[in-house]
Amino acid sequence: MRWSPLARSEYRTVLTSKGAWILALLVVLWGFRPTYAGWDAVGRNITIGYIQIGIDLFLPIGALLLSYQSLIGERTTGSIKFLLGLPLTRTQILFGKASGRFVGVGAAIVAAALVLAGIGLVEHGPFSLLPFLGTLVATLLLASAMVAVGVFVSTITRRTVTAATGVFAYFLATVFWSQIVTSIYTAVTGVPVDPYDAPASGPLFLALRLTPDGAYNVLTNWLLGVGNSTELFHIVYTKLDPSVSVNAFVVEAAFGGGGPWYLHPALSLFVLLGWLVAPLTLARRVFTRGDAL
Amino acid sequence: MSDAAPAIETEALTKEYGDARAVDRLDLVVERGETYGFLGPNGAGKSTTIGLLLDYLRPTSGTARVLGNDPRRDVVEVHDRVGILPDRFGLYEDRSARQHVAFVTETKRAGDDPETLLERVGLEDAVDDATKDFSSGMEQRLALAMALVGDPELLILDEPFGGLDPHGVRRVREIVNEETERGTTVFFSSHVLGQVELVCDRIGVLHEGQLVAEGTLTELRNRATVADDTTIEDVFVELTDARVGDGGERR
Repeated sequence: MRWSPLARSEYRTVLTSKGAWILALLVVLWGFRPTYAGWDAVGRNITIGYIQIGIDLFLPIGALLLSYQSLIGERTTGSIKFLLGLPLTRTQILFGKASGRFVGVGAAIVAAALVLAGIGLVEHGPFSLLPFLGTLVATLLLASAMVAVGVFVSTITRRTVTAATGVFAYFLATVFWSQIVTSIYTAVTGVPVDPYDAPASGPLFLALRLTPDGAYNVLTNWLLGVGNSTELFHIVYTKLDPSVSVNAFVVEAAFGGGGPWYLHPALSLFVLLGWLVAPLTLARRVFTRGDAL
Repeated sequence: MSDAAPAIETEALTKEYGDARAVDRLDLVVERGETYGFLGPNGAGKSTTIGLLLDYLRPTSGTARVLGNDPRRDVVEVHDRVGILPDRFGLYEDRSARQHVAFVTETKRAGDDPETLLERVGLEDAVDDATKDFSSGMEQRLALAMALVGDPELLILDEPFGGLDPHGVRRVREIVNEETERGTTVFFSSHVLGQVELVCDRIGVLHEGQLVAEGTLTELRNRATVADDTTIEDVFVELTDARVGDGGERR
């Protein structure tokens, strides 16, 4: 493929940056969190839960920070004039950039996951292979979605500060997503949302899982078999314990069962795919139209 | 695509930014094998024209053909056969000169040895140095080495003498001459008029986006009604002087 040298150049850029390895380190340090609740929830598979904990907090913002400068950085320095002079279509440039950044971020994240797996293996013994592999795939899918968002931001902005502001705005929106969703829900329906006793509303629960990190948690909780929720696995387990009251949105707790079909955890795969495809499609649309400088 | 087609051909090529017209109904033909100097004061629209020829920018109206191809539709074909030295470019600071050239050779699937190209432009002592420490002249030489990858049929050099010391200027001139002897078409924009005079077969003078004069230096002298031994600088000033101040700066 013509764009493979560009993709190689991009992943080298990521893997030779301090950022990629700081991200990997943070995932390991934050993720390794042995708790009684976690052990009670999934036993030895707590090792897989460590990956979820570390990835949930750091991968979205880390992947964004490692990709949002992919094009805007070249615009700012002027190196984009060499890039655009290569025998590549603008679409190939975009996909070369995105795939290279993804491989770089993905390699750092897989390394972090393997370190956590190694620690877990030593500390707690063997864990289930299939949920572990499934979690790795979900993690890579989340990484690709976040890189796609970063490349999209990089494509549609003309100044680095605007791109950085876009990344920060996205990050804030996802951090406060449940507050945003519940506020809108209350404004529209007039029904107040108590997270200790959430209403059995399909649209409310669907909206909560539309962010990439929310969809990731739903998928990995499904793989761990703890319940259907965007919360971390040990919180979901605690929520489903009738003797404990926790402010968490868990489908089984609200609906007393599986809930509507569209809340099936497997469908979160399509949410993540949507976050991969939609930003890249929009970025391509913007980048292939009009002036590239 | 046609091998008989001119190296560059534009018809009524126009680029507007809001109300400002950077390139104004430009009709330009550069034949194969010639060395064409594209002159004009700062802001005349030279870099914009080059941007349109390379699909960096899209025209408001009109057409451009490069080696018989549409720069937009046939961008891979065009960029494969064209060597580009852009104006006001930036390098990848964390990479060496060799890595810069290798990146282009790999993408173009050319068999060039990066070290040989870097020697050719006079960077043999800095092959593996990171470019963040390069002077502007070294950056310019490196960009020229990247433009030479794959023995291009057409070299588009935008202000190739910028930042070069006299040795560098001479080196660029020698390379342009070598490439011309090889049959390469060379199209370069410059406002370093003395160098244009030494290198070019034909000269086009762009002013406020329009081609105001074109021909050999002798033809331009005749048109500007100046003496036969007048320098190109005087010819240039004569051709553009009446128009300076008529409009604002262009990209």
